[in-house]
Amino acid sequence: MKCESCNKKHATVHLTEITGAVKKERHLCEDCAQNVNTHLAKMPSPTEILASLINQVAPEVSEMSKIVCPVCGLTYLEFRSHGRLGCPMDYTIFRKGLTPLLEKMHGGTQHVGKVPSRAGREMIKKNELMLLRSELNKAVEKEDYEKAVELRDKIYELSGDDNGEN
Amino acid sequence: MVKISDLADNTGEWLRGTGSESDIVISSRIRLARNVARFPFLSRANVKQKKELELTVRNKIKDADITPDICYVNLADITSIDRLFLVERHLISREHAGGEGERGVAFGKEETISLMVNEEDHLRIQVIRSGFELREAWKTIDDIDNKLEKRLNYAYNSRFGYLTACPTNVGTGMRASVMLHLPALGMTHHIEKVFNAVAKLGLVVRGLYGEGTQVSGDLYQISNQFTLGKSEMEIIEIIESVIPRITNYERMARKALVAENKEQLEDRVWRSYGMLKVARMISSEEIMHLLSQVRMGVNLGIISDVEMKTLNELFILTLPGHLQKLEGRELSSAQRNIIRAAYVRKRLEKI
Repeated sequence: MKCESCNKKHATVHLTEITGAVKKERHLCEDCAQNVNTHLAKMPSPTEILASLINQVAPEVSEMSKIVCPVCGLTYLEFRSHGRLGCPMDYTIFRKGLTPLLEKMHGGTQHVGKVPSRAGREMIKKNELMLLRSELNKAVEKEDYEKAVELRDKIYELSGDDNGEN
Repeated sequence: MVKISDLADNTGEWLRGTGSESDIVISSRIRLARNVARFPFLSRANVKQKKELELTVRNKIKDADITPDICYVNLADITSIDRLFLVERHLISREHAGGEGERGVAFGKEETISLMVNEEDHLRIQVIRSGFELREAWKTIDDIDNKLEKRLNYAYNSRFGYLTACPTNVGTGMRASVMLHLPALGMTHHIEKVFNAVAKLGLVVRGLYGEGTQVSGDLYQISNQFTLGKSEMEIIEIIESVIPRITNYERMARKALVAENKEQLEDRVWRSYGMLKVARMISSEEIMHLLSQVRMGVNLGIISDVEMKTLNELFILTLPGHLQKLEGRELSSAQRNIIRAAYVRKRLEKI
């Protein structure tokens, strides 16, 4: 049977349309059927089906799927399909999606082991800087500019050897 | 500069068959995964970044004065047989051997310490000890890590710990594993029970060469699955609490085999020993089985004229990479079977 629309290709799609009491049968090839406004055309594409599946299994994926790491360019979806992260920053960028995964993998999401001494120093420095900044604010409020300059220099000095790590 | 051929006729210190519970526990191993801050992980690193990483990490290892006789091998510069040889000695992983680009390994003369550069992570530190000696291994590796941490800025954050390319390693970055020889549990079909019990504690069982490798020679590696949420010491304590139960279970199974049918067990052991001494062709699979039987025979006092160290070593020295290294050329599997049999006869003849 030839397609009744183009009259060229073999008709492989057979539709029955019921409008009121009128029943009409149509025989179309696949290409023509795509163009006809029927529920066939409204069928979700395989990617849409996949996306809805992922949505069911791992709801964070759809929310996270638009996120791209600005440092290494890895997308969250790429990470989920290969299981490998691209750079240390990804742990921060993808944190929301990663946390439930890590919970499942390790049964915990907070590191409690060894701390590198360098990170320890950074931590102390961060705390010190925070303290100095609040003191500076207080000094400015009190209009004690002499002290403010002193504090500002201290902050500059401390953050100067801060290499911006982590 | 190391000559890999110098290593071919002996093995690392960790196979000498000493240390706690060494009748059943062959070795204890700990590895730490570390990455350098401000660099992408290797899957996203370009050629230039990989080169820079390799150079930096290699130089820092040299500066750190980890062990006096450390040597460094660039894996891109050596043959595939040499790489296989290093895998068989547990100095590098299979993935590292099969990788590409700038990558290498540093190891000490005793082969108890090895540092892989540009494997899955920028740096993988490994320490192996003979017998059940996880704490000793931890002391050594912690010390090495401290020395390197002074020179390298590790990727680390306070929430997730040491940041790794694969989230399965994040946190401590530590995998602690113990290699066990469990022939009697295999023979009595109790090994499955051990696996199930171990899995409930969050531990995994793997074959001789780690992830995805088959079990042969009744050798099993038990290691931690989780790396985040527990400290290094807590992880070690969990493994330490499990291993004595498994070794006791294995000893019970051996006793049961003796009690049930002593003659049959002795016959099996002596036949295996005889085969090793007279066979003209032995496949790699067969030799694992024969060595396993003889090793158990020595532990049970059935055989007394062969040292544990010799048997432990033969597990490694008769592997394909080692035989080819020994012969200095590529060999087909049939040729290897002949050379393997000849090599074992020679080693056991001296006794």
